[in-house]
Amino acid sequence: MADDAASRRRRDPAPSRPNTGVAQLLAVFDDPRKFWLAIAVVLVAVAVAPLLFGQYATVILTNALLYVVLCLGLNIVVGYAGLLDLGYAAFFAVGAYAVAILGQQTALGFWAAIPFALVAAAAAGVIIGGPTLRLRSDYLAIVTLGFGEIVRFSARNLEITGAASGISGIEQPSLFGWHIDSPTEFYYVFALLSVFAVIASVRLANSRLGRAWLYVRHDEDAAEAMGIDRVRVKLAAYVIGSIYGAIGGIFFAVNLGAISPESFSFEQSVLILMAVILGGMGKIPGVILGAFIIVLGPELLRDLGELRLLVFAVGLLLIMLFRPSGIWPSRKS
Amino acid sequence: MRITRRTLALTAFAGAALGGLSLASLPAAAQDSITIGVQVPTTGPEATYGNDMFNAVKIAAQEINEKGGLLGRQIELTAGDSACDPQQAVNAASKLASQDVVGVVGGYCSGATLPTLKIYGDANIPFVITASNSTKLIPANPGNAFMINSTGADQTTKAVEFMESKGIESVAIVNQGDAYSQDLANLTRDAWEQAGKKVAAFETVNKGEQDYSALVTKIKAADPDAVFWTAYYADGGLLIRQLRQGGYRGTIAVGDGSNSPKLFEIAGRAAEGVYAFSNPTAEFLPKAKSFSETYKKQFGNAPGPYAPLTYDGMMLLAWAIEKAGTTDHGPIIEALASADGQEWLSGPISFTDENTLARSNFIVLEGKGGEWALAE
Repeated sequence: MADDAASRRRRDPAPSRPNTGVAQLLAVFDDPRKFWLAIAVVLVAVAVAPLLFGQYATVILTNALLYVVLCLGLNIVVGYAGLLDLGYAAFFAVGAYAVAILGQQTALGFWAAIPFALVAAAAAGVIIGGPTLRLRSDYLAIVTLGFGEIVRFSARNLEITGAASGISGIEQPSLFGWHIDSPTEFYYVFALLSVFAVIASVRLANSRLGRAWLYVRHDEDAAEAMGIDRVRVKLAAYVIGSIYGAIGGIFFAVNLGAISPESFSFEQSVLILMAVILGGMGKIPGVILGAFIIVLGPELLRDLGELRLLVFAVGLLLIMLFRPSGIWPSRKS
Repeated sequence: MRITRRTLALTAFAGAALGGLSLASLPAAAQDSITIGVQVPTTGPEATYGNDMFNAVKIAAQEINEKGGLLGRQIELTAGDSACDPQQAVNAASKLASQDVVGVVGGYCSGATLPTLKIYGDANIPFVITASNSTKLIPANPGNAFMINSTGADQTTKAVEFMESKGIESVAIVNQGDAYSQDLANLTRDAWEQAGKKVAAFETVNKGEQDYSALVTKIKAADPDAVFWTAYYADGGLLIRQLRQGGYRGTIAVGDGSNSPKLFEIAGRAAEGVYAFSNPTAEFLPKAKSFSETYKKQFGNAPGPYAPLTYDGMMLLAWAIEKAGTTDHGPIIEALASADGQEWLSGPISFTDENTLARSNFIVLEGKGGEWALAE
């Protein structure tokens, strides 16, 4: 990857992007010499944030980190494989409900329930992936939207998911005698999950599968002609994306202690997709930035009262107007 | 163009940086005032009710401040917008908890109130819940929360009693699938069947749906003596209008989420003769007369259904703070628990062992000439 970037710099000395302040700052991450320094600064900032700020900030940042995991998951489906998914909250819901139900109905502990939740999410990924493989663009979007709503309505009407009231009293987990229950502890859990999610995303993007996604995204037919198994590659995107979603959901459920269908609405799916598009589809730092903006934006504007969502929406419009391919877009596309 | 872009980007960045700073330096509660948190939805679909509740708290705080405040200190209010969404509510509650509020008043949308109980519980902050009334809240209450709205069970008792008195034999129950309306629907179905009567249909509709023709056909086919809508007015109004347009002539009753005057704006003449179960609203409470007048003068419209209860919530909290003689959370919670059935706007308040209202305060209203009137 470093060689790649270096050779590109040699061939193309003039930066192709507008030379704004943001671009200059963002370019730090694209420079291999400064890259590791930037990563270290970000990691240190993440590690000390809860010590510097109060509990409220910790809760909000935890929420932002949850969105980082979710957005990176959706980024695999939308950004890498180019499959528009409007029902991503469904996978989030499957993870959350699976761990809540297993925790209440069985004697499995939290950690033992995780593999089952992941299998359930992967199965959901296959269920949505299977029938939609032959669909493209808007048709695919409609089917995924429908899938998201089916999952939410099922959760709202099934006895086992606690119907509309959802499931409350979900036990917080312990790990080697350490009971994870304070907001700060959950913050670090989500920070760790985010780091894993980032590493996995980077490795996937540079893998054989990642390249296959890239080809499928650019031209499905050409990719198939080149010997890429389109079905397998697309299914892999859905399944991996759903596992990300489920991991987010699992820890979301134990963090809140209570889940209800309102948390898995269409708005939730749109919000996650918005973060991915806003930050820059396919670009990991961009997606992370998008997740933070989507969560922190409305919170920072809380003091504006009922106007806050209006101001936030105008802000989003301005961003899309001035940076139509996202704040920090991927160069490859 | 380039300059504009650069300036804009830099401004946005500076804005974000400043925002980050404000996260760090949350306003510490001023020494000489008592901060009370108000957790209501001020945005989203339920903002009408939320703002109405917030206004009621403002009036209460204003009255207390004019009389010299609490323990010689002025009350300062800080809003926490729950947006009727569990995640947003948790964020709002965390913010209030971090602002060192002395107590919290509010709580609308049971699903959103539920996960906040743990946050206030961990911080041991007294929380007077003035609207949310799902029975699911009771086991999740760590002991610091007090529900001054009658629960769904109390409303069910009233609903069954009233419908029996009207000679109704079969009823179709329709809910909207959220915690509150489904809870009320389930309780009513169970109580109605226990009374030996027939539940002709039990339906869940989706929030925000515009066309109820399938449901209307189904209800007409089941031909119940009454239809009971357990959810909120926005969709209830549409359903009522479509039921009447579809030719349904039986009794229509609605739960306390639908007793807003706005129901008449949406349903029009179809809302005539509709019965609503209600918490005591200001216009039917003799004691709330001056409160209603103040409210109208300040905010230009009549107080909504939860305004008197929320006003009472603020006053009750103030009473408990005075009784405790301190702003420490523990003694205030003890004082709240010892509420002795003193008369407030909405009636006497005292609590059961579960911190729920000891005595139901539901009344029955009827739509007459485009507004609600007492039915009994």
